[in-house]
Amino acid sequence: MSLDEVPPPGAALVEELDKRLLVQLRDGRKIVGILRSFDQFANLVLEGAVERIIVGILYAEDPLGLYVVRGENVVLLGDIDPAHDPPAILQKVSLAEIRQIQRDEKEQEKIKKTMKARMDFLEFD
Amino acid sequence: MLFYSYFKTLVGKQVTVELKNDLAITGTLHSVDQYLNIKLNNVHVVNEQKYPHMMSVRNCFIRGSVVRYVQLPPGSVDVELLHDATRREARG
Amino acid sequence: MTEEDATVKEPLDLIKLSLDERIYVKLRGDRELRGRLHAYDQHLNMILGEVEETITTIEIDDETYEEIIKTNKRAVPFLFVRGDGVILVSPPLRQ
Repeated sequence: MSLDEVPPPGAALVEELDKRLLVQLRDGRKIVGILRSFDQFANLVLEGAVERIIVGILYAEDPLGLYVVRGENVVLLGDIDPAHDPPAILQKVSLAEIRQIQRDEKEQEKIKKTMKARMDFLEFD
Repeated sequence: MLFYSYFKTLVGKQVTVELKNDLAITGTLHSVDQYLNIKLNNVHVVNEQKYPHMMSVRNCFIRGSVVRYVQLPPGSVDVELLHDATRREARG
Repeated sequence: MTEEDATVKEPLDLIKLSLDERIYVKLRGDRELRGRLHAYDQHLNMILGEVEETITTIEIDDETYEEIIKTNKRAVPFLFVRGDGVILVSPPLRQ
């Protein structure tokens, strides 16, 4: 294969320019925004970006504005089908509500961890 | 280049890409590049209930570095061809 | 196979000798694969056939808070494995 036949890596994103996309990051966050620019590392510029925070079937959106995302943190970019967005099973709540739900979940996890540590201590075998 | 060339022969076939975050996505292979970034069309997520955010996504671009596995369609794997290509690649 | 092909001068030469043989691969995330090696490159990207994957997980029991070690197995006909997850490759399995 001659090298000039090979398109530059990341060129596939040209087709996604100026579309509204869902970007999933490595830390699990989901950002929705319009793709305005990218490079070979999949560094991205997103305009009108919002973070879509989902807990169970509840979600809220946090406006972020203009974002540059470092490529190595990108998991995937999804073309959003406007006819199915947001997904019908998700119910919108306020940002304050979703933040509270996130805190509660975190607290539950913490309790589970402390309980395990206590049990391990009591057994001391 | 071996796997880049190989994946190009699978364009149009159905594959399942499993990511390092355990998300598994089935779709039609649309394109691949030298980094093994993958574009899939008509995707559906295995265990969709757990990942509801993907329900509004039809086509997607997956960054090569986050891929753990790709399940290949058995009918389109020519093992002799792969052996030859690997020996050629190993000789450099 | 010519004599030149069969000499082991660097680590990946050992893998070359395992082509079309069943190998064992240990991966990040407590995963193991057993399968027939059909292709590989210098990154240790691979294609394996007749694959058996074993995943080891530790769950914490909701009531007793005890750790439960579980192993899950599944079979996959053909699998591309990305090299950056590979910890070790072990040549032909005696079975």
